[in-house]
Amino acid sequence: MSAPPEPRRPLEPESAPPIFQASGLRKAYRLGAITIEALRGVDLVVAQGEFVVVAGPSGCGKTTLFNLLGALDGPDAGSVRFEGSDLGRLTPGERTLFLRRKVGFVFQSFNLIPVLTAYENVEYPLWIDGLRGAERRRRTEEALASVGLAARMRQRPDQLSGGERQRVALARGLVHQPRVILADEPTANLDSGTGAEIVGLLARINSERGTTFVIATHDPAIVERSPRTVRLLDGRVVADERAGPSGPRGTR
Amino acid sequence: MKLAVIALRNLARNRRRTLLSLLIIAAGTIGILLTTGFIRFSFVGLREAIIHGGIGHLEVVPQTGIAESGSSAERSGLPAMAGWQELRSEIEAMPHVLAAGAVVQLTGMLSKGERSAAVLALADEPDRGRRMRFEVKLRGGMALPDTPPAEGEDAVLLGAALARSLDAAPGDVLTLLAITTDGTLNALDVRVAGLMTTGMQELDSRIVRMHLASAQRLLGTSDITSLIVGLDDTSQTSIVAAALATRLRGREPSLTVVDWKMRAPFYGQVESLYRGIFWFLGSVIVVLVCLSTSNTLMMSVMERVREIGTLLAIGTSRAQVAAIVLFEALWLGLLGALAGDLLGFTLVAGINAVGIQMPPPPGATGGIELRLASAPGDFAATVALMLAILGVAAAVPVVMSVRLRIADALRHV
Repeated sequence: MSAPPEPRRPLEPESAPPIFQASGLRKAYRLGAITIEALRGVDLVVAQGEFVVVAGPSGCGKTTLFNLLGALDGPDAGSVRFEGSDLGRLTPGERTLFLRRKVGFVFQSFNLIPVLTAYENVEYPLWIDGLRGAERRRRTEEALASVGLAARMRQRPDQLSGGERQRVALARGLVHQPRVILADEPTANLDSGTGAEIVGLLARINSERGTTFVIATHDPAIVERSPRTVRLLDGRVVADERAGPSGPRGTR
Repeated sequence: MKLAVIALRNLARNRRRTLLSLLIIAAGTIGILLTTGFIRFSFVGLREAIIHGGIGHLEVVPQTGIAESGSSAERSGLPAMAGWQELRSEIEAMPHVLAAGAVVQLTGMLSKGERSAAVLALADEPDRGRRMRFEVKLRGGMALPDTPPAEGEDAVLLGAALARSLDAAPGDVLTLLAITTDGTLNALDVRVAGLMTTGMQELDSRIVRMHLASAQRLLGTSDITSLIVGLDDTSQTSIVAAALATRLRGREPSLTVVDWKMRAPFYGQVESLYRGIFWFLGSVIVVLVCLSTSNTLMMSVMERVREIGTLLAIGTSRAQVAAIVLFEALWLGLLGALAGDLLGFTLVAGINAVGIQMPPPPGATGGIELRLASAPGDFAATVALMLAILGVAAAVPVVMSVRLRIADALRHV
């Protein structure tokens, strides 16, 4: 049995164009009378094709950063640029198209649509983007095959295991060939073996297709394999570690 | 189409709740169908009873002989329509006309021994009345003969309540007094051929029916009050009325055409009352269905907040999310209304087959058999109505779903 592929080594910012440029991101939430500052001025640049893990304990701001990078939420201050475009300036229609075409999401709880089969869940992003006929079918089947679920495509989510559901979610995130996959705690609801399989899958896709991955996690198994780890604590970036071709990580 | 499929599958997720909503919609549909069927039956029944009770579909009357309201009860004056036989032949040759019968109306005094009563006499031609499908409801004795009675053999039918007040019975001879066309008082001995009812107590205490020839003899005239026209189909009334009005134009003395509705303002009042009741009941049903289904749809949206957030996160537009919720509402409306139509049709057929007896309506003398006159259009209309109601019921859930902030929705537990 061959070893799972390693994610791509990080490219130096000056050698690969940035896909995300986040600067001065601040975000606070009100919980009754209390204001919680989830992000307190985060700067982050992610190059195209990178495999970046955002790590940190629960409540450090990982999911908030994930939401801001994916244009699922807007910052109180600061900006996020995607391939040079400020996501804060998108109109609602442009934001829908951004979500539909540029980015794919993988969630901790899989977030599959329970009334759709695995095939239909994966097909859905292509359908809403207006892709019709044989091409849609081909790409859907290809995405399911790429995550090893070709034989289970007619099952509904409640008939699949946790690992299978996350594979479906990954196929759904990949099927429209987005520039970037944002994954929020993709292994948190899986046992360690299944989690390792999913991480291997993410790494393989990153390696084979060059899709950028930004993964929010506190799973040491993912952090261990990641060529770049951005550590968050209390809403701030406290470390940005890059592994060398084979050597130990360095903190920048 | 995919959104409609997703919506349909969403309804299947909580089957008990969906079934309850469908039952509410079906019950509302049935309620509206039965109410509509009953009211239409009442309208048609009352209309035909009025028309075939002797009013006819149309009346041709001298312009000067008609009171402003057109009501028969307010008709005044002595017969003034001369030369009517030729006109009658013309009218009877028109399409949809069954017959045109000459009528004399008069007021007078009817006496039996010491007892007297003011009466309203309606004199017509029984043979033509039969051709116009008029119905005389006898409550004893015999109908009037078709042929004009010879002098001294005049006969009348008495309203049942009038007969009671005069203590008269079939075979009795009474005296009818009236003012003639030249202003003198004339009396006619009449034999009570039978007792009758108009279906309305008030009228039964005043009405006398007699042959046209008897009334003309009493009043000393060959003129008539009006010509009553009976049609083969009530829906043709306005068309025939217009054609008749065209024929009468330029005639001297001028004649006018009055339709049955003008002559029976009572019908208009009943119609208004029933329509009011229908709208009230209908509004209650609409509000109940709307509120209960809106609540169901809201619960459905609230339970799927994270799912809706996911749909938005993967690029579903807010319009598409709104469409899913709206489709759910429309599916509920369509399926509920179709189920209601099916059950309603069965109920209508069952009720009509059983023949339930209803008590007499206010002012009427006899009970009626409950029948529901549902039209095919009613079933389609209830489907359209339920779709509209569910469309309104979906308004708040739709707004709720499209206003969700994606990040908040994804955090929702």
